Amino acid sequence: MANSPLNVQAAKIDGQTAQKYLIRALGAAIFLLVAWRVITVGLAEGYPASFWISQALNGLVLGGVYALVALGYTLVYGILFMINFAHGEVMMIGGIAGFFTLQFALARGWMEGPWLVVVAALLFIMLVGMAASVVIGVALERLAYRPLRQAPRLVPLISAIGASLFLQYSVLLIFGVSPHSYRKPELISGGLRLGDVFISYTGAIIFVTSVLLMLALFFIIQRTKLGRAMRAVAEDRSTASLMGVDVNAVIVVTFVLGSALAGAAGVMLGFHNTVVKFNSGFVPGLKAFTAAVLGGIGNIPGAMFGALVLGLIESMGPSALGIPTEYKDVIAFSLLVLILIFRPSGLFGEVLSEKKA
Amino acid sequence: MRHDTVTRSVKTGLVAFACLSYLILVGIPGRIGGAALPSLALIAALVFWFNFRRNEDFRTVPERDRGSTGAEGKPGWQIGTNHAPAANDTVPLLPAGISGLNLHLGLAAGATTGLLIAICSSVIVAAIGNGVSIQPVFDKMVPLNVAALVGVSPGQIAQADVSPFRYLLQTVYFAGAGILAALAVTTGGARLTDAARSDRLPVNLSAPKILAAGRLAGLALPIVLLAFIVLLGLPGVSAFGSNEGTVRLLLTLVATGSGLFAHRLSRPGRERRIVTVLLGLGVLMMPFVLDQFQNSVMGLVFIYVMMGLGLNIVVGYAGLLDLGYVAFFAIGAYTYAFLSAPFSSPYISNLLLLLNISPDSPLLGYWMALPVAMLTAAIGGILLGIPVLRLRGDYLAIVTLGFGEIIRLFMLNMGELTNGPRGILEISQPSLFGFAPEAFFGLLSSQGWTFLLALISSALIAIVAIRLNSSRLGRAWFAMQEDEDVAEATGVHLVRTKLLAFAIGATFAGMAGQLYAARQINIFPENFSLFVSIDALALIIVGGIGSPAGIVLGALALKGLPEVLRGVDEYRIVAFAALLVIMMIVRPAGILPSPRRRVQLTAPEEQGPPELSDGAEEDFREPLEKKAAPLNGPEKDEAQ
Repeated sequence: MANSPLNVQAAKIDGQTAQKYLIRALGAAIFLLVAWRVITVGLAEGYPASFWISQALNGLVLGGVYALVALGYTLVYGILFMINFAHGEVMMIGGIAGFFTLQFALARGWMEGPWLVVVAALLFIMLVGMAASVVIGVALERLAYRPLRQAPRLVPLISAIGASLFLQYSVLLIFGVSPHSYRKPELISGGLRLGDVFISYTGAIIFVTSVLLMLALFFIIQRTKLGRAMRAVAEDRSTASLMGVDVNAVIVVTFVLGSALAGAAGVMLGFHNTVVKFNSGFVPGLKAFTAAVLGGIGNIPGAMFGALVLGLIESMGPSALGIPTEYKDVIAFSLLVLILIFRPSGLFGEVLSEKKA
Repeated sequence: MRHDTVTRSVKTGLVAFACLSYLILVGIPGRIGGAALPSLALIAALVFWFNFRRNEDFRTVPERDRGSTGAEGKPGWQIGTNHAPAANDTVPLLPAGISGLNLHLGLAAGATTGLLIAICSSVIVAAIGNGVSIQPVFDKMVPLNVAALVGVSPGQIAQADVSPFRYLLQTVYFAGAGILAALAVTTGGARLTDAARSDRLPVNLSAPKILAAGRLAGLALPIVLLAFIVLLGLPGVSAFGSNEGTVRLLLTLVATGSGLFAHRLSRPGRERRIVTVLLGLGVLMMPFVLDQFQNSVMGLVFIYVMMGLGLNIVVGYAGLLDLGYVAFFAIGAYTYAFLSAPFSSPYISNLLLLLNISPDSPLLGYWMALPVAMLTAAIGGILLGIPVLRLRGDYLAIVTLGFGEIIRLFMLNMGELTNGPRGILEISQPSLFGFAPEAFFGLLSSQGWTFLLALISSALIAIVAIRLNSSRLGRAWFAMQEDEDVAEATGVHLVRTKLLAFAIGATFAGMAGQLYAARQINIFPENFSLFVSIDALALIIVGGIGSPAGIVLGALALKGLPEVLRGVDEYRIVAFAALLVIMMIVRPAGILPSPRRRVQLTAPEEQGPPELSDGAEEDFREPLEKKAAPLNGPEKDEAQ
């Protein structure tokens, strides 16, 4: 009988093995196809090496910003197992707050002062951006996510989508449709020329700052008592609470850390893209989520690595594949789809248990 | 105790102040005009009321019951489910000790709010008076808004010539609102909520005669409304003056929506059959009697119903969260556009030349193109389905979202195939047995024809969906949704079941897309943004996931009502987004949920699904909070 349990099991194993091999073959085929395309088209274009190096540097800058946002996704996912869909908007709020602080600083003439003043002003701008993001992030947790903590998974996701739309269109209503453009101070608008390669100061500062912030986060999580509590809650919420960890406080702290990083990223993205507007958090947020998934969601070094890889692929991919740069988003999303198909747990992710998947 | 009251009232005041500040920032006062201050005070009173109600049960419930307010110690998700009824069954008319406390609370909260508002507006007035321009920062913060808030003219604001009396007035307004809210809670509100909580309605409300009369009125309402609409459709009848179009549209929406409630309200059997037939006839007459504007809105609503029903199969039945559903909608629309519009890409015209067909005339008519569009969409569904077979939950959501974006980006950038952002123009209209619909005695306008088609298609899709849900496949979907591994172990073929869900859902989206393309005549890639997916998802969630009636209701509310509220268009998305969040917290299963999903979505994950009560028929009677009865069971036992 086809329906007897033994037969079903046997057929299932066969089916699964076949499916596994099929997927591997498909992966190999896609890889070969991309490699062939890169060799025959991308490399045949004959771009000089300096072109590739500057593209790679661009990619690293972008990757650094994505990493900061991706860390927020990963931290929240690691603890609550939910996608904080509104995280991109939290970043955007940081950018908006940074913009107005910048206007304030420009009006005060801080940006033309001695370099120490300019650096202090830039730091101030970033801190204000981070603070604004933290306020929004914590409010989000309190209002939209905490009441739903016991709910099935679909419910907080919908709530997050609602919160994301709400934030976007509130900013639209309050601050208007038109993009707000960041004006860089003299000090950081130049660049360094090494042979044919141009390194902009802004890019260098962004990359260094994001690495520093990531190191700080890593220190907090690995070396402090708070970090230990966070890791404990991520491991098992109820056991952690039995051990005397205040779970609610830890969750709030997680949102604070993630939002602070996102706020910094928002300000830096503002300087990098020179504009910020109500929907400028959406696509970077989606990309950062891609990066987090790429590195294995819930895995902190993975998110950083995934973001850098994504940044590099996004900036070098179109030229390497010989396709127009409008397709860079397509490349990013295709990468996400491919990664999830071939390594559903990301590059460094553990094999997800049923609870997390 | 004293200190506690003060903090609580100040907190309440701060919450109200935050809400009001938001409304002021988005420019509500300027829109409401002179009535801004009373309206804001009313909103503040509502905030106080909600807060005091919670405080009130905090105070009346005896000490030993406090522990049961949920694991997190906060009501919220658990609101309404875990309030143990007060131990003594008698509810005093006016709890004397508490009323005084509540009045103080209300006064303090109102004064806090009023003072903060007064301080803020005085600062803004001073700033404007000193030549500081606020508008570049806050888009809506025009002097007109401030003027509406403090009740003087914009000119006086510009000169900072506002007497302190105005600020005092603001404070007094809000303090008054606080006292009103406190009074409402301690007298009527407390009694009502307590009574509802202990599952007893106040005597006069539970009288069977009144209930029966209410039920009959509910049953008759949509039929009366439909008759009225038909009457209005007669030539030369006009009843609403200048707002005719808007009011008629509202009437149409309310009639359709209340029809759904009436259907739920009717007793199964003969009564339900009669109601169904009457409603069906009434709705079928709509395309013939409505005017062009209403028909076009209703057509869009029902196109979204088609999409919602299809998405419901994927999300509601099979439990696969698909955020890229717009992809199939777009595939359907573009397929029809390719087949019927004069534009044709170099690829396609070369192909046509090869096949010896002239590329100038439409390739296929609407009806011939329908199976093609459905098939293409279904193939798209399967192509998406195969790679995501192994993904679950949130990952699936994100991959499908990415897929939707990829399709849109391709349409935008592949100019040779899709004409890029310039879109495809002059898509031909569906015909009726080879004639244009206008040829039929002038009975149907072109929009009415679209509406009729959407209506018939939705009905067909709904029938197919309902039949599918109760079939073997539907049970397999349900099993898969509950637990994939267990489903597989019990013999559900996961690959086939999932792919069928994707393919069937996509087919319906393709149908909807084709009709949408015909309705729009010209389509552009930006018609198919992520928001279409989100709208479709939101409407099935707001309406009630898994229930076709709920989906129609959701579409009426989310796609129809905004058209009535054209004037406040810019606030519509914000309101909708806030509604989505609130809905998830207060009533996660939707307005008209299917009984199965309601239990699933309202039960906390840790507990097993409680027993299903026979609740479908009595849905309408419950207050806005979700039905608490099945979940209250065990706690009642504890209390005794």
